[in-house]
Amino acid sequence: MIELTLQLLSFIAAGLLVVIGLGGMLFLDNLIKKIIAFTLLSDGVNLALVSLGYVEGGIVPILEPGSSYLNFPNEAALIFGPGIVLTNIVIGVSTTAILIALTMVLYRRYGTLKASKVLKGERK
Amino acid sequence: MGSIDSLYDKVKRYLLGFNRGKAYSSSMSGYMSGELQTLVFIMVLAAFFRLFTIPLGIVLVIGVVAAFLYFTPIIVAMERENSSDLNRVLFWVVIYFAVIMAITLWGL
Amino acid sequence: MTETVTNLWSIPLLLIIPILTAIVVNFLYGKVKAIRVVAILSSLALFAIAVISPYGYHWFTGQPAVLLNGGYTYSVQIFAWRLSLELYFGYMQQIMIAVMSLLLIFVVAISTKVMSKNMGTYIGLIFLIYMSSAAIIMVNDFYHLWIAVEIGSLLVAGLVAASGESISQKAALKYTFFSAISGAGLAIALALILGITGYPNVSDAIVSMHINNIQGMQGILYVAFGFLVLSWIYAGGLAPIHPLKSDVYGASFPHATVMLQTQSKLMLVAIGLIILRVFGTLPFAKEVMLGISVITMMVGVVMALLQTDFRWTLAYLIISHSGLVTVGISLGTISGIIGGMFQAINDVLYMSILLLCCEAIYYYGKGTSIKSVSGMAKKAPWLAFAAVVGAFAASGIPPFNGFQSEIILIQASLASGLPEVAVVILMVSVTTFIALFKSIYCIFLKADSTPETEQAQSRQGSIPVPKVLYLSLGVLIVLVVLIGVYPQLATDFLNDAAIKVVSMPWVP
Repeated sequence: MIELTLQLLSFIAAGLLVVIGLGGMLFLDNLIKKIIAFTLLSDGVNLALVSLGYVEGGIVPILEPGSSYLNFPNEAALIFGPGIVLTNIVIGVSTTAILIALTMVLYRRYGTLKASKVLKGERK
Repeated sequence: MGSIDSLYDKVKRYLLGFNRGKAYSSSMSGYMSGELQTLVFIMVLAAFFRLFTIPLGIVLVIGVVAAFLYFTPIIVAMERENSSDLNRVLFWVVIYFAVIMAITLWGL
Repeated sequence: MTETVTNLWSIPLLLIIPILTAIVVNFLYGKVKAIRVVAILSSLALFAIAVISPYGYHWFTGQPAVLLNGGYTYSVQIFAWRLSLELYFGYMQQIMIAVMSLLLIFVVAISTKVMSKNMGTYIGLIFLIYMSSAAIIMVNDFYHLWIAVEIGSLLVAGLVAASGESISQKAALKYTFFSAISGAGLAIALALILGITGYPNVSDAIVSMHINNIQGMQGILYVAFGFLVLSWIYAGGLAPIHPLKSDVYGASFPHATVMLQTQSKLMLVAIGLIILRVFGTLPFAKEVMLGISVITMMVGVVMALLQTDFRWTLAYLIISHSGLVTVGISLGTISGIIGGMFQAINDVLYMSILLLCCEAIYYYGKGTSIKSVSGMAKKAPWLAFAAVVGAFAASGIPPFNGFQSEIILIQASLASGLPEVAVVILMVSVTTFIALFKSIYCIFLKADSTPETEQAQSRQGSIPVPKVLYLSLGVLIVLVVLIGVYPQLATDFLNDAAIKVVSMPWVP
């Protein structure tokens, strides 16, 4: 019972992180704050993916010697979610690195971190 | 004493009123063609509503033409709204997805 | 070629060779000739693999599929739960990867001639973009789909930023911000589909949805559909993301834009077909895709009319023609899907002609603006000819390839009872002609010398146009004419995929 409550709470927390991250990316003007908001968004998605794998009364998804093959698919927690999270962490790191590198280059050129000044549309 | 305008003079003055400036630029033909294309495209989009009921499609097409005569030129607004300013793009993304969610989740 | 079952040899090679090439050329920093040799040999090898490869699957998890009675099988002819991350190489994948490999040879040959600074890293990025595009067109599981989209978006940002101008770096930053949002969305879609069906494999997920009663989960399916559409829009540059994508196309070097637009078209086809297979039966799903496609077509072509720089005209036309590709896929009929995929192949070919012409104009030292360049037909008559051929093909004029795919799209939309879509396709075709010929007239045929052109002519002299660029243009023109006269050379490869999407969506 408590596990189900904790799973619900973790989904709520994931939802809050996603909403706060998305709101930050959409509404904040500072480029660094937008990048931090992206990190929050990514963390919320990771939390949702990990929480997805909960199985009530489940076992660790490792086949140990002597354990039953027949019940394993029903009892083991879903491992795919944490697997995706590992990849998502790597992708998040790469994206954050590129964002920060480009922000640095543009800060040197424009002298400001305001997205409304740096990222306004170009007249071609 | 004032001059008496014929209907021809009134229409001519109305159409010349669209001319905002005297300069010529290499963009002129593009802007004029774009204005016409945008109008026809919005009329075609309005005509799509005939899939619901035909009178609705007809009313919307007439409404678009009337709105166009009032709001013209729209190409300047079109160019401004399609600029690559990040905030403007994100605004339109939110609008698009609000419409998509409304259409798809209607009735669920 | 008969279909083999798991562990097809060519699928891993199509992914590993570009990665290894990218690593090697990075190590060969500064050794220009060695980089050129390695890069061209790799691209030739990839083209050869794409042409000679048999058809089949690659199951990453290695174990056999599970039959309904609990038994196991490696045969794909019998229905079984794949339970694996899967890549599939079939007819459609063959022609798309072969065309992309051919373009890779040209892009690599040209960029190794003209780029001097950071050539190793630049060529490495081009090969990695090839790898992500090849992965996405072969993918049959959501996990690889998500990874390929994410990797592809970061590579696009890198390639654009490598152009070095301020506008390129701004375009890359804006694009990466949006990739962060759409990547998170795609991960959420993956989580939702995994939660509903329990399967990351697309075929297994579709079968699970058909077998189990998921009526109560329709809202969740719509949310997953919405996030997948978001990543589809982002990857292909459809409205409303088109300003960011047009910045990406316009701000990078034209030869890099050849690879970028090829990647976009392949992503549009791949993600669009997966959306159609998984969500095609959801009410309003195809209508949403169709609406986005129609808006993209018109907004792109109207914006192209307003441009005064040939590069930016082409950037917006690529966007508009992406809408043409997705209109076919969104119709959801066999002829519509064939038309959409065929349009993607043709579009990639004739846009490459125009982009390479743009690259050549650049070398004459006057830029690509119609205000500063004129009378190029006297200096480069073959270039003028190639530009005119590209413009005719893009406008859908016979006997070029654009005509064949557009006629299929028009017929498909009329057969679906949507003549308005056919009208929009015709409008796009005519407007493409106007936009392109405005630029071609000003750049090649206009003889007037204005103060702007005189100022431009007094700038730094021209760089010699690499001969390989003219060779590339020649090959592409031959292909454009050949496919225009014999469209079955391409459509024979696409029938199989279209029939499967409509009648057997669980089969990749």
